[in-house]
Amino acid sequence: MAAEENTPTRRALRMASMGAGAAGRYLTYILQRPFVGKTAGQRKLKSTHTRVARRMRDEMQALRGPAMKLGQTLSLQTGILPAETVAELASLQMEAPGMHPSLVRVQVKRSLGREPEEIFEKFTPEPFAAASLGQVHEATTREHKRVAVKIQYPGMRQTVENDFKWFRTVTKPAQASGHIPKAAIDELELQMLAETDYRLEADNIDFFRENLSPLSFVEVPKSFREYSSDKVLTMSFVRGHHLEQFLAQKPSQKLRDKLGTNLVDLFYFQLLKLGAFHADPHWGNYLLNGDATIGLVDFGCAKKLTPHALRYLKNVFLYPGSRHSPEFRRILESNYVAQGKKLPAAAYRALVSFAEKFYRNVYPPERNQHERFDFSDKTFLTDYMREATKLFRTKHVMPEYLFMARTEMGLYHTLHALKARVAMSDIVRKYL
Amino acid sequence: MATKSSSTSKTKSRPRKTKPAPGKRAQNKQVIRRRIVKSALNLFQTKGFATTTTKAIARKAGIAEGTVFNYFRSKEDIALSFFEEEVDHAIAAVRDNPRLRKAPLEEKLFTLVHSQLEYLAPYERFIGAALIHALNPASHLGPFSHRVQQLRHRYLAFVTELVEESAPKQQHSTISWLVPEAFWIYYLGVLLFWLYDSSEDKQHTLAFLDRSLHVGVSFLTNGRP
Repeated sequence: MAAEENTPTRRALRMASMGAGAAGRYLTYILQRPFVGKTAGQRKLKSTHTRVARRMRDEMQALRGPAMKLGQTLSLQTGILPAETVAELASLQMEAPGMHPSLVRVQVKRSLGREPEEIFEKFTPEPFAAASLGQVHEATTREHKRVAVKIQYPGMRQTVENDFKWFRTVTKPAQASGHIPKAAIDELELQMLAETDYRLEADNIDFFRENLSPLSFVEVPKSFREYSSDKVLTMSFVRGHHLEQFLAQKPSQKLRDKLGTNLVDLFYFQLLKLGAFHADPHWGNYLLNGDATIGLVDFGCAKKLTPHALRYLKNVFLYPGSRHSPEFRRILESNYVAQGKKLPAAAYRALVSFAEKFYRNVYPPERNQHERFDFSDKTFLTDYMREATKLFRTKHVMPEYLFMARTEMGLYHTLHALKARVAMSDIVRKYL
Repeated sequence: MATKSSSTSKTKSRPRKTKPAPGKRAQNKQVIRRRIVKSALNLFQTKGFATTTTKAIARKAGIAEGTVFNYFRSKEDIALSFFEEEVDHAIAAVRDNPRLRKAPLEEKLFTLVHSQLEYLAPYERFIGAALIHALNPASHLGPFSHRVQQLRHRYLAFVTELVEESAPKQQHSTISWLVPEAFWIYYLGVLLFWLYDSSEDKQHTLAFLDRSLHVGVSFLTNGRP
């Protein structure tokens, strides 16, 4: 595991606090609430009383994982943070506090009726990884299968509910002004509540295990229902390294290109072929291997696209003609019409600009171009953020796009970290 | 926990002429005693403490009312015995658990309080009522009764023991003399939190217990949180 100083969390905290001072919008407050405490903590506070208060607040914040994730998702909409920061935030994982072995035992016993040592042949009381909402332990089943057991920290569902109550209250003005659409909050709450039920995650695992089987370079775990419940999820062990560990081994450019290509292939296979995607872009969820295979874990956040959204994506991607043409406009409008809305002029302009200034560069539509896009230069991230911000500022973004944007950001960020070169259009074209 | 069933009693096929083993009588008494406590607690929980009579307890336990008085002086006496058992049970849960031998203080205290709550859980309604009842200065369950003080003393002595064995004395902060008093107030706080916790499976209490002990123990060992 990486040294403390270098955890993505720390880095993101630093970056967030740097950017948060830049603008004074509603969301600054939301972003600051979970993050700024740490920076303030750097300054030595003298009186014990203040320190007690600070510690209490940090502790409470430790329980506030969902609020952080919320701020993270919505930070995409505001443009108050620099592009790299938002990209980091997008792939940041919400972490619950750690559990000691006794609490783990209590939680498993309450959920499965027996203590982990009674259920498994072998159970390691210390976790080997943090997970969203809990932690993961290694174990061996009675059938001698090596498994990962994910255990949820107590009361996460209620914490999510409370966070949203609080969030809805403080964002009343932003909701009224349309800066944060109510539909987007509803969508987020629904999704995050779903993540607290590990049975739904087991459903997702089964779905992706079956449907991703055509991709030979992807490994999806197998769920063990008899050892799972809403707060405990047992699945087969998936091998691989986290991005940071992987990069520490100094992989060759060739390997990084191949992995980048596979990651993009995985994303568009899900998006355009399955119409459903693994929407938690935290890089801890992608386990990378030296043979360019990818282990996929943590299926708490999976998103399904509606048929019309899928059709829209297929039409809009790699659109060959001019993006100022009436036909392109009709395609853009169709997505709004399908939901009984009109495409406002501002949103139209932002979408065209996005298509021109970002997508055309990264995904050139011309059939004769097989050039690989080089993700090592961060200009593309800045472009993406600038265009996304313009779009989100029009306040007319479809709620379901929130999750897609987050996943897309996470993907770009990983590709940037890998310094990969990928022929984006060739991959997308396979699934149109 | 050490329980009664450890002695051998598999000789039923052969009729015995000798007197029952010396432990047998005591064992029988133990069984009846437990039956009375269990019946009483069930009634306290369902019918309420105030309205439950020793007669009803005897009927529920399937014994004569007079027999109850061979064991207990009053229903308050029964309730107190239950709380004594609860404390014994919780102390044993920490003491007799080999896994906790090298565990940090935080985890031991967690197990202690959690075992208490688990023991009390089937009688939640009664516990709430008993807390109110205990506020009456004349009550035998009240904080001024000698037996209650003794029980509290034993409980807090164990907590102090845990704190002391977790680190040499000089390593604790200057406030460690406060531990017993502070822990007692803390325990009552947890109990109240638990009683009013309406979250599913009382998950909030678990989180609260875990987080508050985390803060409390680091305050104790570092003199600051």
